[in-house]
This record gives sequence, structure tokens and C-alpha cells, in this order.
Amino acid sequence: MKILVVEDEYALLKAVEEFLSAEKYVVEKATDYHSATEKVMLYNYDCILLDISLPGGSGLQILNEMKKEGKAGNVIIISARDSLDDKVAGLDSGADDYLAKPFHLTELHARIKAVLRRKLHDGKQVMRLGNSSVDFAQRLVCVDDRPLKLNRKEFNMLAFFATNRNRLIAKDALAEHIWGDNIDMADDFDFVYSQVKNLRKKLKEAGSDIVIENVYGVGYKLVL
Amino acid sequence: MRLTNHLISRITLWFAVVMLFWSALYFLFQMKEIHDGNDEGLTNLKQEFIAKANALPGFVEKLTADTPLNFIVEEISREDAEAFVETFQTTTVYFATELEKEEVRMLSTAFRCEPNGKYYRLRCFTSTVESDDLIKNMLYLLAALWAVLSLTVIIVCKVVISKANKPFYQTLAELRKFRLDNNTMIAFPETQIKEYRQLNEAVAELLSGNIAIFSDQKQFIENTSHELQTPLAAVIARMESMLEKHQASREDAQEIAGALSVLNRMKRLNASLLLLSKIKNRQFADSSPVDLRALLTSVMCELDELAACKQIAVETQGEASPTALMNEDLACILLTNLAKNAIAHNEPGGTIVLRYEPEAVIIANSGRESAVDPFGRYRSDSKSSGLGLSIAKAIADIYGIGLEYGYEGQMHRFTLRIAKPEAVLPRLCFFPNLYGIASYVCIITN
Repeated sequence: MKILVVEDEYALLKAVEEFLSAEKYVVEKATDYHSATEKVMLYNYDCILLDISLPGGSGLQILNEMKKEGKAGNVIIISARDSLDDKVAGLDSGADDYLAKPFHLTELHARIKAVLRRKLHDGKQVMRLGNSSVDFAQRLVCVDDRPLKLNRKEFNMLAFFATNRNRLIAKDALAEHIWGDNIDMADDFDFVYSQVKNLRKKLKEAGSDIVIENVYGVGYKLVL
Repeated sequence: MRLTNHLISRITLWFAVVMLFWSALYFLFQMKEIHDGNDEGLTNLKQEFIAKANALPGFVEKLTADTPLNFIVEEISREDAEAFVETFQTTTVYFATELEKEEVRMLSTAFRCEPNGKYYRLRCFTSTVESDDLIKNMLYLLAALWAVLSLTVIIVCKVVISKANKPFYQTLAELRKFRLDNNTMIAFPETQIKEYRQLNEAVAELLSGNIAIFSDQKQFIENTSHELQTPLAAVIARMESMLEKHQASREDAQEIAGALSVLNRMKRLNASLLLLSKIKNRQFADSSPVDLRALLTSVMCELDELAACKQIAVETQGEASPTALMNEDLACILLTNLAKNAIAHNEPGGTIVLRYEPEAVIIANSGRESAVDPFGRYRSDSKSSGLGLSIAKAIADIYGIGLEYGYEGQMHRFTLRIAKPEAVLPRLCFFPNLYGIASYVCIITN
């Protein structure tokens, strides 16, 4: 899987690159408008992470040019401008998703996976995890082909863990994934804790191989 | 008091004073003129009388005996005659035919009659204008004149002043509509009046200066807030990969996680401030009727696991479906913040009461009374940005919705008062995932 990251802030670019390389993606980088346009027009990428404000031009311009050239991009906009207009303009110009900075890398990964899954269209929306499987399209979890009953938030949580398998997911990132990025209250962490506890209990009772580890009290990790 | 009425009342008052003064002056001059005329006639009469008395012996004696109507001749001593000073005076005389005393002008004088060498006092009089009647008539006439003139003044002033002031009132109306954040200059009316032109120019200069400063400041704050997001993103991303990559020890991991959690709080604070500034700048357009009952129900549905986690019972009262004309996303943020607040500041095993009235939504939760102003700009809390209720208040304010807080019956009570929309509006179903500050158009996929 080849991913192009268009971002002018080097520190962020580096962190994203390292994270995605560890997930076995091939990562290409562009740090300004012209090099980004060149790369987008010359090569095909499975996914493009596009910053809007770039030296030399706007990410929205790149989107419009891609549209003109008929390039299907799987574009996720990553913008510091958390504004409604930019989101609407970006999604109208053919972007697949919009992620406001700052974001958690695990959240970014979940969004990339979602975009990639959506473009596959070949029924490969089921992820196998040991004796369990997660069907993202039907929002169904099976353990040994027996469906496991999960509520909406528990499913969202498990899907997030499954996408970021073997990765440490900080409690903040988990809470934000469930609540959108507005968790404006302290109690949410207790809630996260109790939800994870319930999820673990359900998985264990169903005999799943999936284990959700607690890492030093700072976050969780899905292992098999 | 309106400027026109003020001016008219002042002008009329001064007009009345001047008219009164002028009337008195006119009356006195008129009376003086009449008396002068009469006095002249009396002097002539006197001279003729004395000439005749000196020329015709026995004339005086005869007249004294006859006492004609307008002469009184009396003999006096020489000393009295010599000391006599000629006077004119206004007095009254009884006329039998008129059955009343009439006002007359009388000349008193003394003379020596040559033929008999005797001294006489002569009083001759002539009837004059009655000052009472004159005053009365004049007052009537003046009152009529005064009334007509006043009416004319009022009408003319009203028309002229209103017309002249029209540009002023137009400017005033435009100024009322003016909003600094609209970035648009108001339209000034054309006027020939120099002062109003100058006023318009001064106001235009002031406004354009303020618009420029305001836009600069706003731009600066927004840019700064936005620019903060990227470095913040970089730091958070770097620290997250650090947390994971090096198989950090428990202590290190907890240190990093602690720092990350502070960074996340900073990020949320920044996002909330950006949102707050956007709401206050009215950057959310597209108002539509929002069914608050349906929306709050879906919000509570999103939060039910959270409530269940604290064993909070949610009770719904009232059958009404209040509707508010507002931006849907902001309505969602408003209700979410209030609902979250009701859960967060509740006690384990507490209750939340949602009450729907035709023009109000009440969200009440059990909890201890607190002395803190719930809408304070910033409430320090270890994890919360403390801006949730400030945001709710800002949203309510821009749509003219009243958001009141009260504590009664061991319950914190937030009441949303909605001005009734004019028409009966269709109900809207709300997309349940549209929710939270920054997720208002985010497509959350799994």
C-alpha cells in the first residue's frame, strides 16, 4: 500500500511517516504545493494525506486539479483549519475524509483503513483476528463463527482496536474516537475503563483469542 | 423626547413669551396714542373756552349756572389758582343714560377770567376708549393670532425639521443595524446639510477604522489558534510514537502519558476557544427549524451508556416538541454540552429530568449546590476545558434563546427558553452522529 503524505511541518511529517512505515505502508512525502502536484499527477497512490495550507498553494487546488484530471485519490485532508467551510469545500472537491489537526496517529490510521476499505468494494471488509472476525460493513463480530452481541460503542471500540492491532492506544485517543474529538469531561475516562472492562468480559465469555491489554494504566493494546 | 418635539415645544414656548411681551407693549403704545389724541383735543377745547370766557363777559357765570355736560367750572381762590398744576387724568364719570360709570379723559386746569377778575377751576372731559374693552378685545385677537401662528409654527417646524432630520434618522437606523463582524460599511443617505454630511463622514471614518482593526485582530487570533494546531499535532504524534516505540518503562510511559494528556487538554481548549470565537462572530449560517425534543432524545441516546455507567436515571416529562430556528450543528452542540454537563456534574445513582414545554426545554440534574457561576468563562478542572457551558451560552445568545440556571429542590436546572416561531414548522429528524464540537461535519467511519 502506497501512501503520499503532503505536509509542510517536518516534525509532524516525520512522526506520520514513522508510524505508517511501521504499519508496512510505503510512504512518500511532499512538503510543498509543487512537489505534491507533481507526485499526485505522476504516480498513483492508495491514499493521500493532504494538508490544506502549503507553501506555494492550497491543498484544495491540488484536489481540484486531481478532479480535472480524473484522478481518483482516496484523499484524507489533514488541516489545522478546523472550519466548516474548508470541510465542505474539501469534501465537495472529492476528498474522502477530513481530519482536523491535532489528531492521534491511531485515529489517523483508523481513517486511512476506513477509506481504503471503502474503496475495495470486493467484500474484503472482514478482518480475521485469531478465532474471531470483525465485519466492518455489517458491524458484526463473530467468535468461532458465532455472532457476538456488542452495543454500538463497544463495536466502535473493538473496530478501533482491531485497526490498530498491537499498537498502544492512549486513553485520550480512545475516548476521542468514541466521542468525536470533544470529550469535555473528566468522567469519560472512567467510562472508557468500564466500557473496556465490559468488552473484555464479553470477549472472554465468548472464548475469543482477542486480548485487550492494559499498558501501565496509560492506554490499551489489542494482542492475540 | 424626540428631537422634533423638543424643538417644537421650545420654539412654541419662546414664541408665547415673545407674543405676550409684544402684546403688552402694543397695548401700552396704543393707549398712549389714544390719550395723546384726546389730550390734544382737550387742550384745544380749554384754549377756546378761555378765549371765549375772556371775550364774552358773563359767559363763565352763565356756564357755571348751566353746567354743560362736558365742563365743570368752579370758582376758586387766587392762591389755589396760582398753585394749580394742569393735569390730564383718566377717570370715570357716571352717565345716567348708560346707567354706569364710563371711562373719560379729563383735563383739570385753572384760569383767571378777565372780565370779572375771578379765578376758576376748569375741568373738561371727553369720553375715551375703555381700556377694559380694549384689553379684552386685544386679548381675543391676540389669542386668535397666537393660536394660528403657533399652529403654523408647529406644522411648519414638524414638516421642515422632520424633512431636514431625515438623513440623520436614516444614519441612526443604519448604525443600529451595524455589526462590526459583518465587515460591511453601512450606506449613508445623501444630504445637502453640511453638518449631517460631516457627521456621516466622521461616522464612516470611525467605522472603517474599527472594522479594519477588528478584522486584523480576528484574523490574528484565528491564525494564531490555527497555527498552534500544527505544532501541537506534531508534538502529540511524536510523543505517541515515543510512548510506543522504545518499550518504555512503566515510569517513563506514565510520564509521557501524563504530558500527552496535558497536551490533549491544550488541544481541546484551543479547539473550544476557536469554536467560541466562531460562534460569537456568527460564522454559522443556515438556520432551520430544529425539533429540540427529537434532537435531545438522540443526544441522550448517544450518551446513555455514559449515564448508565454512573447509574443515572433519565426521566422525561411533558409532551411538547419545542422548535427553535437555528443552525442544526450548533443546536446539537448546545444540547450535547448541556446533557454532558448534567451527567458530569451528577452524583452516582442520581437522576436527570428532561422536561419539554411548548416554549422551553428544561434539563435538570441532581447534585450538590455550588457557588460557582456555571457560565463562567473558565472553570479550572483537571480534564475538562471548562468551556462547555460558555459555548452553550454563546450559542443560546446568538439565537435569542434564554439559557437560565437555577438550583431548586436539590437539582441543578438549566432552562432553555425559546421565542415561539411564527409558523408551525415541520419536524426534523436529526442525524445522530452529528455531535460534539469538532465532529460537526466529520464523517466517523470504522
